[in-house]
Amino acid sequence: MKNINRRDFLYYSGAFLSTAMFADVCRSFAGDGHVTSGPDDISGKIFKNDAPKTLWKWSHEGFLYSKIENKKVVCGICPNRCILAPGDRSICRSKVNMDGTLYSLAYGNPCAVHNDPVEKKPLFHFRPGSMVFSLAATGCNFRCLNCQNWEISQAKPHEVRHYELFPAEAVETARRLGSESIAYTYSEAITFFEYMIDIARLAKEKGLHNLWISNGYINQGPLLEFCKVLDGANINLKSYSDDIYRKLNGGRLQPVLNTLKTLHEQRIHLEVTTLVVPGYIDDEEMIKKMCGWILDNLGPDYPLHFLRFFPKYKLDRLAPTPVSTLTRFRELAIKEGVRYVYVGNVPNHEGNNTYCHNCSKLLIEREGYFLPVYNLSGNKCKFCGTKIPGVWN
Amino acid sequence: MKKNERATLLVIIATGISSVAVQLITIREFLAQFHGNEFVISLILFSWLILGGIGTLVAHLITPHYWQPSPSRLCCLSFILTALSAIQIFIIRELRDFFFIHGSSVGFYPTLAYIFFTIAPYCLLVGFVLPYSLFVLRTETPDYSGARIYIADNIGDITGGAFFLFALVFLVTPFEAIFLAGLPLVAASFFLFSLTEKQRKYLKIIPGAAITLLVLATGIFFEPFSLAPSEGELVHYRESRYGRIAVHKDNGQFTLFIDGVPVLSSQNQSIAEETIHYPMAQLNNPQRILLISGEGGIMKELKKYGLKTVDYVELDPDIISVQFKFGLIENIEGLNVINQDGRAFLADSDKIYDAIVLNLPEPDTFQVNRFFTDQFFSLVKKRLAPDGVLSFSMEGYDNYLAEPQRQKLSSLYNTVKNHFKHVLLMPGLKIFFLCQDISIKTDIPARLKEKGINTLYIRGYYYGNLTKERISGLNDLMDPNTPKNSDNSPFLMRLMFSQWFAKFSSSPVGFIAALIVLTFIYLFRIKREEFVLFSTGAMTMGSEILVIFAFQIFYGYIYFQIGIIITVFLAGLLPGALLGDKLREGGKHILVLTDGLLVFMMVILMLALKMGGDRLPSFFFLIFGFMVSLACGFQFPVALHLGGGGNSAVTRSFSADLIGAACGTLITSLVLLPYFGLIWATAGLIVLKLASLIVIGTRNEKYKQKGFSLL
Repeated sequence: MKNINRRDFLYYSGAFLSTAMFADVCRSFAGDGHVTSGPDDISGKIFKNDAPKTLWKWSHEGFLYSKIENKKVVCGICPNRCILAPGDRSICRSKVNMDGTLYSLAYGNPCAVHNDPVEKKPLFHFRPGSMVFSLAATGCNFRCLNCQNWEISQAKPHEVRHYELFPAEAVETARRLGSESIAYTYSEAITFFEYMIDIARLAKEKGLHNLWISNGYINQGPLLEFCKVLDGANINLKSYSDDIYRKLNGGRLQPVLNTLKTLHEQRIHLEVTTLVVPGYIDDEEMIKKMCGWILDNLGPDYPLHFLRFFPKYKLDRLAPTPVSTLTRFRELAIKEGVRYVYVGNVPNHEGNNTYCHNCSKLLIEREGYFLPVYNLSGNKCKFCGTKIPGVWN
Repeated sequence: MKKNERATLLVIIATGISSVAVQLITIREFLAQFHGNEFVISLILFSWLILGGIGTLVAHLITPHYWQPSPSRLCCLSFILTALSAIQIFIIRELRDFFFIHGSSVGFYPTLAYIFFTIAPYCLLVGFVLPYSLFVLRTETPDYSGARIYIADNIGDITGGAFFLFALVFLVTPFEAIFLAGLPLVAASFFLFSLTEKQRKYLKIIPGAAITLLVLATGIFFEPFSLAPSEGELVHYRESRYGRIAVHKDNGQFTLFIDGVPVLSSQNQSIAEETIHYPMAQLNNPQRILLISGEGGIMKELKKYGLKTVDYVELDPDIISVQFKFGLIENIEGLNVINQDGRAFLADSDKIYDAIVLNLPEPDTFQVNRFFTDQFFSLVKKRLAPDGVLSFSMEGYDNYLAEPQRQKLSSLYNTVKNHFKHVLLMPGLKIFFLCQDISIKTDIPARLKEKGINTLYIRGYYYGNLTKERISGLNDLMDPNTPKNSDNSPFLMRLMFSQWFAKFSSSPVGFIAALIVLTFIYLFRIKREEFVLFSTGAMTMGSEILVIFAFQIFYGYIYFQIGIIITVFLAGLLPGALLGDKLREGGKHILVLTDGLLVFMMVILMLALKMGGDRLPSFFFLIFGFMVSLACGFQFPVALHLGGGGNSAVTRSFSADLIGAACGTLITSLVLLPYFGLIWATAGLIVLKLASLIVIGTRNEKYKQKGFSLL
């Protein structure tokens, strides 16, 4: 057999190396985790030169912003703190800089208006069985891949059909419909803060409750101002991982935790919702940590809802959450010390009902939005007299 | 024929076999990884053909000046090509979750980029190998006919296509199919190498072949790992002839995935109840029900009505067996399972039903669009009892109906309203259409209570989710001016495309503009005879898409017959090329004649579609396909001869054919059919061929040797 020359040596080496690399790549991918897949951060970007040429009827000067050099402005409503040059549009799509002044383009022009049961928000400990006048204008400061309302949350105000409902008319409509409360919901109410707070102030004057259904991504200043007229909130704690917040939602965790603490300090009725997305938010350890944080910072009394995920919007290649996962998380959270833990988006689940944290008796049975069993007397358990946290009828 | 020549031709044939099988497997893989709408399917074919065309041009540019052709180099390229086929599928499957967020769908431009770059190495090499083989043969026989290469390639393509469509798809997994389709190429390369190399040949060839086979085998070994889901476990996997079927088990829940999309789950109570009880609540004494495809848990709900007959039609028998195996569908009394295309079943059957319930995906492919057309609803009406109800659903919304979706629902509403006195849309996560000739009742819980039927979801949630205000709000938004959807003019698909683009906040305008500019630049640089090949390539692919579309409308989706249509569109190329090679001296006049014949055949197709419709016998489509491919194959050697037959002419001719086919695929699928309908799409292809007829007919023979370009 002849000796192998240099060319042959390179040929064999190259061939073997490429095969080994292919096998190695196969092996590494076979067990790869997916939380590291794709881009790490899907945060929104400012829309440069996207503001309309002139303001429209449904414009209102921004509630909180500061003017900086060259007619730029900094929006102070949410932690995105968009710095907008004249003609720019904010990440949430609702605010624009018009010649050095910040304007909201979502004032008096809601695109979704409905009268819903309060349980639909979901708020289980706030005047059960009552109806809530619910409204939303466009916009969101997040970019959630599984958004249920992406048609309005990821749209600009002028891109949708809308109603004309300035604050006084909104309050009047709610009263006419017999609603006890007004909910700022569906898209992200933080993005139409100016509209929301004006309605809320009027509603409070007229004896209506204000409910806020939100991702909680708001700065302390505007939140404290809003708390003066707020009665109840459901904050969507999307996960207890900053990485997942950045990857699936385009936001950050800490500002949301700050909001929860502020609401607790301001004694606002609060419920927390977590959507259990398979493969991302179904880690028991993370749920345990989340419960630990809730107990340490908010206490055991605020209801916690685990919602079932269904494929939606861009996150449509995952299976729905298995019901047993939700059941397990509920048991886990109760075991950790959270007193009222619910399972949502699963009809006829035991986790739809309210049980007294002291005597464990059934207080409220829920069949969807119906309450066939109601065992509270005022704000106390009918059986043992324990005070049940919440705002009751 | 010399031994070397024979061995080289065998390599070309084997390359054809392997490349066609790999192309079909690649398309299926992309459909399993990305959203399988018509846009994506067209993008895959387009990218494949364009890259092949570029590879062919590259061969012309770098050989023989920079890389002398030799049989041993051809063998090396063939080994690399075979190994790349497995690596390509692996990369498509595994890099998806590297570049995109796990579980998320992907928009137009990222999909296009992913397709283009993942298949680029393989497609460029496939395009490169074909002319390179000719250059190898011409090292020994300088005037070796390029047409023979074309013929050998066609033999391989036909064999590979038939082998995959009628054998591999039924028997093996994708990596096994790649292994089997690649074996002839490894063997042929081995044979060629052993004939041409004098020294230490086995020392070189055995490791090369072994490494190639090892890569192919590695793919088979790692296939189960690459399919394993991140959540739960894979409890069933099968490649059916229609797509990838997988069942994942996660914490006691079984979910059926078809082509990567979760279609039904064992724990989806609300959808099961809505699907069944909304239509059934409309009927007083239902006895006979037809289901076209199903949802998890629907039989359990149907059982509550004590029906005499439930006919359940599902196209894919593998889906049925999986549904029963994992309890996604229950076996109830009176259930008849029918494995057939739903539309073909309705056309053939004379049964009358009290309710017909469609459970189909969104109409974003030509195949599904057939179930939402004027003609289909007319057929449904004939099979319904006088008070019978038709129900189907579309993707829903929570609180706001966006404009593209409003148009889509309006088009459907106007289409179905043509056949039923009352049509009502029920909002929710899915929007249900209820269609009946008597007025539709909206108080579903009350109706169910009257019937003594208990539900879990509807009883508790209906009144909060489907308020009168929400129902009337949705129905009032229907626009009576939106055009209807029909078989011949699939308007709905246009709206589906708009909705898809709206979801990702993107637009195809940039892509289309770039494509038009590049096509014009290309067209202004090619010769007249190349334009003939370009237009014939475009027309052949375009007419193949038209014929498959029409066949599905008239006969339903019948896998074997559609497989035969695809095969005949390849089969005519071979005899055509053989004949063309003999008559190539006829030059321009032959091209004019065949162009005229192609125009004539397209006119016949147009008239047949317009006047014959579903009365056309199925063999009409087969004869048409064969004749078109015959003419296409015939033109290639003639055009090649007209172009001088040199290396440059060969590569330019192959490129023109491939780039034309790429443009024909894209324009027919995404522009002509959705925007102009079946008849006008055919007319569009006739115009293209007429342009070719004029271009070649006005070719001045004195320019022949000077090689003037088109302008």
